[in-house]
Amino acid sequence: MKDIKILNQKNLPVVRIDNSLEKYVKLPIFQDKVDNANEVLRTVGLPKVIK
Amino acid sequence: MQLPRYELIAEKTLMVFEFTSEGPNGNIQKLIKFSETSLKNFYNLAFGDKDIVSGEIDDTVVSNNGDSEKVLATVVASVYAFTNKYKDVLIYVTGSTKSRNRLYRMGISKYLVEIKRDFHVFGLIDGAWEKFQHGKEYSAFVAKRK
Repeated sequence: MKDIKILNQKNLPVVRIDNSLEKYVKLPIFQDKVDNANEVLRTVGLPKVIK
Repeated sequence: MQLPRYELIAEKTLMVFEFTSEGPNGNIQKLIKFSETSLKNFYNLAFGDKDIVSGEIDDTVVSNNGDSEKVLATVVASVYAFTNKYKDVLIYVTGSTKSRNRLYRMGISKYLVEIKRDFHVFGLIDGAWEKFQHGKEYSAFVAKRK
């Protein structure tokens, strides 16, 4: 019971593992978003307080 | 913040998650991916619909399944899971469209008090980052677990 309380306090979801999703790890999906993130990193950088 | 959300499925590194949206337009499989960028510990978060037949992912489609809040809560849950495993990462998010960005902004604004308990949140506006504030039209967001 204590573990469940800790999980709830941390807002941690229960996640079921399915290895069939591994194929998406290396697949270049959402590449336009990644390119956008890299462009923002290049032109704007990081928020100052966490640099 | 314990909002209704869908069950999350992931592969073991927690870089890719899947869940199923349920609504008037049926069951729609969604895929969430945390992608590495050119900077270490800076990850792009994106999610979209998965075509069951082709397996292709589309992050521009509007599902209209009447559950956008539950979908966002599920995506936020994946951020908790990911940042619990990878402690020092920054998560970058931007919408595919202005309206999608507006949806994200509204979602963050609605639960900002709760989100700020666990995350630093920043918005990109006029070419600069600032701490997230209500009512501003940010084009992208960054979150870091506290």
